[in-house]
Amino acid sequence: MRPRVSTVLRHRIGAVSVTFLVLVALLAVFGPLLAPYDPLQQNQDALLQGPSAQHLLGTDNLGRDELSRLLAGSRLSLLAALEAVVVGLVLGTVPGLLSVYLGRAFEWTTLRVMDAFVTLPFLVFAVAMTALLGNGLTQAMLAVGILVSPAFYRVTRAAAFPVAGSQYVEAARLTGASAWFVLRRHVWPKVLPAVAVTTATTLGSSLVIVSSLTFLGIGIRPPEPTWGGMLATSLEYLFPRPTAPLAPALLVILTVGACNGLADTLRDVTGVSARSSRKEKVRAAA
Amino acid sequence: MSDLVEVRDLAVSLGRGRARREILHGVDLTVRPGEIVGLIGETGSGKTTLARSLLGLNRIDRGTVSVTGTDVGGLRGGALRAFRRAGSVQYVFQDPLQSLDPDLPLGRSVGEALEVRGSSQIADRVAEALARVGLDPALAARRPAEVSGGQRQRAAIARAMITEPRLLICDEPVSALDASSRTAVLELLLRLRDPHRGTAAGEAGRVGGHRTGQLFISHDLGSVAGVTDRIAVLYHGRIVEAGATAQIIGDPTHPYTRLLVGSAPTLDGAGLDRAARAVLRAQLV
Repeated sequence: MRPRVSTVLRHRIGAVSVTFLVLVALLAVFGPLLAPYDPLQQNQDALLQGPSAQHLLGTDNLGRDELSRLLAGSRLSLLAALEAVVVGLVLGTVPGLLSVYLGRAFEWTTLRVMDAFVTLPFLVFAVAMTALLGNGLTQAMLAVGILVSPAFYRVTRAAAFPVAGSQYVEAARLTGASAWFVLRRHVWPKVLPAVAVTTATTLGSSLVIVSSLTFLGIGIRPPEPTWGGMLATSLEYLFPRPTAPLAPALLVILTVGACNGLADTLRDVTGVSARSSRKEKVRAAA
Repeated sequence: MSDLVEVRDLAVSLGRGRARREILHGVDLTVRPGEIVGLIGETGSGKTTLARSLLGLNRIDRGTVSVTGTDVGGLRGGALRAFRRAGSVQYVFQDPLQSLDPDLPLGRSVGEALEVRGSSQIADRVAEALARVGLDPALAARRPAEVSGGQRQRAAIARAMITEPRLLICDEPVSALDASSRTAVLELLLRLRDPHRGTAAGEAGRVGGHRTGQLFISHDLGSVAGVTDRIAVLYHGRIVEAGATAQIIGDPTHPYTRLLVGSAPTLDGAGLDRAARAVLRAQLV
C-alpha cells in the first residue's frame, strides 16, 4: 500500500512528526526573512548575553543574535541533510531496481560496490572528500550521500526482488509489456513504502552527520551559521552561558526525533498492509 | 486446417551449471483452432515447462515451436515482445491470487494488455470481457482479495481473453478452486472455445471470427476428461500417449496412462486396486 499523507496523519506520532517537520521546513525557507537581526552582524556591546526582550535566545561570543543565527542556520543544515538523502536515494534506489533486471554481472558488481561503501566510516570519508573536492558542505554531504546509498540499495532490492519474480509481473511480461511499464506499474508501488521509511530514517541520520561535521568545523566557512557550528561555539562558552547550547541541540534532537517518528509511522502504516494481506491469504486458503 | 501449435522434437533444459538438466526430451504436440487439448502428467513431468516454451519463456535446446505460424523458439528481445503484444497467445495461471496484482483493481489487471498495446476504450472493453466470463462489470473496481476464488479465476480468464487470442494456455486453472467454482470455470472454458459468438464484437464483425484453441494443463484427469477433445500424456518429459479423449480415458495403452486412469478417484474408490497399480508401476521402472 502506498503511504498516504492522510493515513500518516491519522497516527498521533505521525501527525506530530509531520507537523514539526513542516514547521522546520518553513523555518528553513522563511527563517532568514523572519530573523530579527543580521545573523552575521557582530555587536561588541552585547557579548554572551542571556535571553532578553531584545535577544530572545541571547547572543554569542561575538555579540551576534542567537535566534537570528538559528533561523538562518536552519536552511543550510536541512539543505545539507536533504542533499545527502537525495544523493543516497538516487545512487541506491536506481541500481537496486536495476540489479533485479540487468542480470547477474550487474547484480554482483553493485553488491560488491555497496559492500565496499558500507565499510567506509562517514566522518573520515567526508573529510577525505572535502580534502579532495574542496571544503564545503555540498562536497561533504555528497560523501555522506554516497555512504548512505547502500541502505537504499538494500531495501529497494529486497522489496523489488520478490515482486520481479511474481506471477503478476510474468503475466504483464506476457502481454508484451516493457521493463519500464512493469517497473512503473507493478514494482515501484511495492518498493515505495520501504524507500519512504528509509528516506525518513536517513534524513534524521544525515542531520546528525551534518551537525557532527559542522560541529567539527568541516564543510563550513565561518561565519556561516549552522546548528552544529552554533553548538560548538556555545560549548566553548558554557561557563558564562550555560543555556546557550540548549536551543541548537534541542532543534537537532527534535528534528531527528520527528524524522524517526515519521519513519516509525510509515513502517506501521505499511505493516498494517502486510498484516491485512496475511489475513487475506488465510481467507483465500479457507 | 493449419495447426495453431506445432511442436516438433522439442528438448528444453532448465537450471544452471551442474544443476542443469533436460526436462523435455523430444516432445511433439499439435493444437488446432477451436480444439481443446489436454496435457496431463504428474508433478514434475514437464507440463508447465512445455507451456512456457510456447510463450518463449524457456530457451530451446532442440526442435521447433511454432505458435500461430510464428517460430517462437527463434524470437528474442523486441521481436518476442511484439509477438506477445499481438495477444494471439494468452496464459491463465494456476493461482489467480498470485497472478493478479493484489494492489490493483481487477479492471486494471484485466485491461493491462490493452494498455500495453495503447488501445482505446479500455474501460468498455474491460466491462465487456468481464461480462463475457459471467462477472458483474462493477467488480472491475474491486481488488483480488475482495472477491471469491472463482471470481478471481474468471477475472484472470477475462484478462487472457480480452485480446481475443487464438490460443489460450490454461495451466491447472481449476486446481486452486472449490468444486462448484471448478465446474463453473470448466463450463466457461468450453464456452470460450468460440469466444465471439453472441458478443457485440463478434456481431459487429470486429474480430475475425476465429475459434480459440486451448491447451489445458492438469494433473486432474476428471477435469481434463470433461473439457478436452484430445489428450496428450506427458511422463518424465516425453509424450507417451496421445489421442482422442474418449480413447485415452476408455482404452489407455501405455502403463503410465493406465495407472493414471486407474488411480483417478471415483465414488466407488479408485478404478484399479493396489496390486494392479503395483504391477503397472513395476512396468514403468
